[in-house]
Amino acid sequence: MKDFSTFEKKQKIMIDLNSVVTPSPGIVPRKTGDEYVLVPVSNNIADMDSVYTLNETGAFIWEKLDGESTLAEIISCMQTEFDVDAETAKNDLLAFVAEMGKFLIITR
Amino acid sequence: MKSFNLNIADYDIRFISTGPETNLFLKKKYNHFFSCCGNADITIRVHSGVLKPEEKAVRVFHAPYIKETENKKVKVNDEFWTVYKNKNDILIETILPLGKKNRKASLRVNAGANEWDLYISGADKKKDPLEYPLDGLLLYYLTVRSGDIFIHGSGVSINNRGYLFAGVSGKGKTTIAQLWDKAGALVIHDDRLIIRYINGRFVMFNTPVYNNETPRSSPVDKIFLIDHGTANKIVLTGKSEALSLVMANCIQHLWDPSLIESLTDVLGKLTSGTDTCRLFFKPDESVISYILEEWNSGRME
Repeated sequence: MKDFSTFEKKQKIMIDLNSVVTPSPGIVPRKTGDEYVLVPVSNNIADMDSVYTLNETGAFIWEKLDGESTLAEIISCMQTEFDVDAETAKNDLLAFVAEMGKFLIITR
Repeated sequence: MKSFNLNIADYDIRFISTGPETNLFLKKKYNHFFSCCGNADITIRVHSGVLKPEEKAVRVFHAPYIKETENKKVKVNDEFWTVYKNKNDILIETILPLGKKNRKASLRVNAGANEWDLYISGADKKKDPLEYPLDGLLLYYLTVRSGDIFIHGSGVSINNRGYLFAGVSGKGKTTIAQLWDKAGALVIHDDRLIIRYINGRFVMFNTPVYNNETPRSSPVDKIFLIDHGTANKIVLTGKSEALSLVMANCIQHLWDPSLIESLTDVLGKLTSGTDTCRLFFKPDESVISYILEEWNSGRME
């Protein structure tokens, strides 16, 4: 949960499970099979070695960040998709949000 | 010279001096890359003087000047070259750090145009349109224009198979190229390559870096992401891992989402159709027989 707090701090607003989060235009996704490669837009040659790969779970979450689904709804979808309990799904989602925080925008 | 054509990586590039007072010259390393003055893919008009970015231009990308000596990287200057964008025009402004002091150059490119403009300052009437860092910048934006790949890698061809060894500085590109050279392979290049999709195949080309280089190319049949190791070991990669690892070795100025989409498109095509793996290797001839045995056993596929 510590990382999640950091994300809240960066965004300077509180988010909760009713929040809606979407990818920022500062990152470009490319789907390869069941996974994603995410490449940040950069204005400096020194920043160009940070490419992210998302596994199947990360890819599933990424596709659910559609600007409409709340975090609670995404947790529910994860429970169905991966057959996990709510706490596990919530922890996975919040870890993802914390890790990718600087490339996400809270829209609601 | 007032004008000439070069053929590098199958790009036919025509250079034309625009003023009666300006003559063009090139370093010896380009001697074997001159081509007949036929239809050029791109024409570079070379001007004497300075071209400043327009007021509305936005500074979108920049690079510091870093010197590498004895495996140490030292930042000499925060502002080496800078990219400005104004509508469809891109202006790359750079200092020319080698030779006479206080000289600059500006390259104005437009992805859709067949003619680009290069301005070089300085009192000398003789201008080198491919003076460092113009050579790399021009070739890079040619790869962008064509949707190709410019990569830190060494490439070899043996028994009608082309192997690409990608790695940034210090990962062993030159070492592995020398080992293949001793084994009788044709070394395409030991440092940087341009990869293009031609007639249904990805082909790697050398670019002029050393004196007396001749144009060389080979299809790419296998990609190795190299690193030093205590033993020779091949580790297969997944699709997204392969794409991101190859991308990490590409020369890339990713200041616009469209540039990222273009590069990931071509890399996706390259890595999905070409076996890609990580190679940890001992810097001796054992790695050559190891790769050939692994290939013949089918374990690399």
